[in-house]
Amino acid sequence: MHLPHSTLKQEFVKKWIMGLQRCKFSNKNMSIFERKKAIKLSADTAMASARKGLTCWSRALISTPDRSAVPTTTRRASLACKKIVKRSRRIRRTAKCGAARKRQITRSVAQCLVRKRTQILKSLIPGGEFMNEVCLIEETLDYITSLRVQVDVMRSLASASVRASEPHN
Amino acid sequence: MESNAGATETRSNVTVSDGGEVAAFESLQFTDEIHRLISAPATDNASSFTALLELPATQVVELLHSPESVKLIVASAPNVEDFKGSFHFPSNTGLIQKDARFSVFSGEGNNKNDKSNSPEMTSKNSSANLEKAVKSEPAETASSLPLVSDPTVENRNIKRKDREKKVKGSTKKSKPATNESLEDAEKLPYVHVRARRGQATDSHSLAERARREKINARMKLLQELVPGCNKISGTALVLDEIINHVQSLQRQVEFLSMSLAAVNPRIDFNLDSSFTSESGSTMDGGNFPSLVTPLMWPDVQVNGYRQQFQHQWHFDTLKQPIWGREEVCNNYVTPENSLLSYDSSANSATLHANQLKMEL
Repeated sequence: MHLPHSTLKQEFVKKWIMGLQRCKFSNKNMSIFERKKAIKLSADTAMASARKGLTCWSRALISTPDRSAVPTTTRRASLACKKIVKRSRRIRRTAKCGAARKRQITRSVAQCLVRKRTQILKSLIPGGEFMNEVCLIEETLDYITSLRVQVDVMRSLASASVRASEPHN
Repeated sequence: MESNAGATETRSNVTVSDGGEVAAFESLQFTDEIHRLISAPATDNASSFTALLELPATQVVELLHSPESVKLIVASAPNVEDFKGSFHFPSNTGLIQKDARFSVFSGEGNNKNDKSNSPEMTSKNSSANLEKAVKSEPAETASSLPLVSDPTVENRNIKRKDREKKVKGSTKKSKPATNESLEDAEKLPYVHVRARRGQATDSHSLAERARREKINARMKLLQELVPGCNKISGTALVLDEIINHVQSLQRQVEFLSMSLAAVNPRIDFNLDSSFTSESGSTMDGGNFPSLVTPLMWPDVQVNGYRQQFQHQWHFDTLKQPIWGREEVCNNYVTPENSLLSYDSSANSATLHANQLKMEL
């Protein structure tokens, strides 16, 4: 990681606290869903701003107010890919092809699979639909590290609050 | 993975023999580029992908500058033959292993390699050695990609098929058989182009090749980052793993935020409940990092993440009844269903969002 993990964590934590403090003044009685949304939103924004606008996904995350639920397109995509593979096998059987033709078919199949995967990845990464492949992979790298930081911080906080709540009972 | 280990070893050998080869390089007409390569800044951070960005950028610049010289060398076979005789490098098994895919210069039986991957390749000439040496040096400087991974190589085999010109049957045979020889060569597109004969030398395919190699370099970094991807071969499967990892991380964030919301009645929970109970001091931002850092869990593999997260989740669900928040239990157990009902609270969230973003 070109950014040390610990500094990213500290940045994220600071900004998250700031964001949560802001939320406190807005609405006193919030349902659990709203709280969850607010927490997640502030966490996401904190994570994105911790990157200081260096990455594409952070800017996209800040500019769009909300992210929908995680899409579950992998299964559909894998089914589609299986169909493609079957189709290519049929073609291979019917065509009287030499070695070059077989290579072409496998190559096209592989390209199709890769293309499907990149489409899915683009839908996952915020702002990913507008990137070319090179940028997409870089953004993925960055996004994964930031997500890890976020998960670490939130998990430790959750465990801390769990531990904190125990003596109250 | 013995071949991989061998490749890494041989590459380390190359750095040792750098000095001896530099002197021999000077008689070549592309020495200035080689010197530029040698003096390229070495990337210290092994996993720094932004440092890696610099290296391919310079390579692409070289690429754009050197297509003419490339064409000369590639087109004129007799010149290549002359080069063959003038350079005899020490039997560097790493170089020879990398030679394996460049059987274009056929005829010379300089087969110093005993661990050649493809037995049909007898042409291990010194010019190919030279080019391999040139490739391997910048490979050394780009320390961020020390490992040779079969998956990306095989992936490249698949992708390279449309690049191939049907010049020689031996060229075709050599490509599937080689493994790690492709790896280093990919990092230096312009050197790569020089070595290959019969390849299209117009700027389009050169640029395309450079772009493809950049992509493959990044993919390797991703493979190192995502746990469990090192052993997978093929771009599609690696991308699958990456997608799964990103999705699991996103889901973890969702669930954790849900659990945090469930644990505390107020939004500023961390400032009140956790700190007063744990540290007993007044609330301020400075305490939180010091409190949190001892609690930071080390990065574990994806399976570890899922397990830990699941343990956390079960623990929370156990705790919920004790706290008397039964109304939360049902929602907590079915987070997927509850996710759908979040849209109703979108309006309030957007207000917060605007406020937050302005502040931050």
